[in-house]
Amino acid sequence: MKFYTNLYLQELTAHKKGLIGWSIGMILMVAGGMSKYQGYKQAGESVNDFMAGMPEGVLAVFGGGQLDLTQAVWFYALIFLYLLIMGAIHSAMLGAELIAKEERDNTCEFLYVNPISRTDIITAKLLAGVTNLVVLNLVTLVSSLLIVEAFNDGDSVTNQIFLMMIGLFFVQIIFLSIGMASAAVVKKPKLVSPIATGFMLSTFFLSMYIKIKGDYEWLQYFTPFHYFDGETIVKDNALNPTFIVLSIGIIIFMFSFTYFVFNKRDLNT
Amino acid sequence: MNIIETKKLTKYYGKDRGIVDVDLSVEEGEVFGFVGPNGAGKSTTIRTLLSLIYPTSGSATIFGKDVIEHGPEIKQNIGYLPADVHYYDSMKVKSLLNYSASFYDKDCTKRMEQLVKIMDLDVNRKISDLSLGNKKKVGIVQGLLHEPKLIILDEPTSGLDPLMQQNFFNLIEEENQKGATIFFSSHILGEVQKLCDRVAIIKDGKIIKVEKVADLMRNSYTKFRIETKTDLKQEDFNGESINNFVSKKGTTTFLFKGDINVIISKVSELDLISLRIVEPDLEEIFMHYYRDEDADA
Repeated sequence: MKFYTNLYLQELTAHKKGLIGWSIGMILMVAGGMSKYQGYKQAGESVNDFMAGMPEGVLAVFGGGQLDLTQAVWFYALIFLYLLIMGAIHSAMLGAELIAKEERDNTCEFLYVNPISRTDIITAKLLAGVTNLVVLNLVTLVSSLLIVEAFNDGDSVTNQIFLMMIGLFFVQIIFLSIGMASAAVVKKPKLVSPIATGFMLSTFFLSMYIKIKGDYEWLQYFTPFHYFDGETIVKDNALNPTFIVLSIGIIIFMFSFTYFVFNKRDLNT
Repeated sequence: MNIIETKKLTKYYGKDRGIVDVDLSVEEGEVFGFVGPNGAGKSTTIRTLLSLIYPTSGSATIFGKDVIEHGPEIKQNIGYLPADVHYYDSMKVKSLLNYSASFYDKDCTKRMEQLVKIMDLDVNRKISDLSLGNKKKVGIVQGLLHEPKLIILDEPTSGLDPLMQQNFFNLIEEENQKGATIFFSSHILGEVQKLCDRVAIIKDGKIIKVEKVADLMRNSYTKFRIETKTDLKQEDFNGESINNFVSKKGTTTFLFKGDINVIISKVSELDLISLRIVEPDLEEIFMHYYRDEDADA
């Protein structure tokens, strides 16, 4: 195993524009979401009364009805779901793209003919992917801290935002690994990204289903969106250790699977 | 030691035949032609040698080392020019070449600059703005900039204008004189004939012949071109080993293999308008190997 700085930097350059776009998207999502909070805060208790009158199913989607939307951090927990979705789409697509683009664009007759093993190619691409995720996560963290604190007039919420960002990072890595594993196993490069994002969306809808129905507890293990639910993090002021262990397990499995399968298969040239 | 050696190399894509039991040995310093019609298995063989795809059975070694196990190591000394050249569209030629060079253990700057000059390449242009021919030129520079000991060419001249083809052939001959081994795959026999020492002919995934080009050209066949008042039939030369017999509008051509005296005496019985005996090109010699493909087309 050797680390190829040239390939790593090449991958960073290739995804630079995309990363800037997603970063702006994240900032807009935090800012746009929190700007609505102003209205809720002014309306005061009547918002909570209004929410209490909503049907349970609708309520579940908006945080199960336990959220005090007049407090900044609870409101942020609501927005956090959308940050999770954005982070998940970004990383699933990135993971798929990192591997599949060489076959889609026919550049694998260049890259894989270089004196570098497939294992080292995956490693450099994986690290470039993780770097992208870290940057997007930090952008989200900083913008969240600044914007939420600007609206917050209660206790400091820094700790809870930090916890949610760790949760976001786990979700990002999980879907990066799923994106890469899809690219390793799916032979038609154009199908990789749709399959990875399709899978990601189905886990999202599963988490919504569990929230609305309120039972089927065993299903929660199948959706990373449930592992790092903003409402639960704010309530517990902690991450659930079971889900952290489970996440690490999924990540290790998916990355090992990627290395193993991709090393064995024919490239589409 | 053979530079390339394959043993019963076989590749199936699912049920589809790629190559079957390909045995090749390419010696150090030779220019080896790999000839066959499209779809015969030339690219499959090359991609297996480069471990882009893995064989179904059999094995291949380059520089005496297994191509899968020692892939990255042997690729330090392989230069490859694919049939279709594809690079990252947003990159400039210069950064692409530098990027390519950065994978090798040695400093390639000097040779890269020489090659850019020889191929008359504008390195400040973006890959996406290049014509097919210019992309091919980038491919040539990129494939040779690390002064590889083995150069693998897959249909290398497509897209190059005749002047650049000549530059390219000179370059390949130069590399060969410096000691590089050349593996040259093509369906254009003329260029193989010009450059190669030996050729392997592949058809339907199988090697059907490996021979020295010189032997093929010199000893095996003679081409007759006869003009007569009436068309001739192949039966007129009954018993002689004749290939590619064509008789049209009084002009008859065929390839002959065997005792030249016998055929000359037969020809002398004819009422001739003109007679020419020439060296056939490879294309004609190999024509009968391809006849099945022609019938399909």
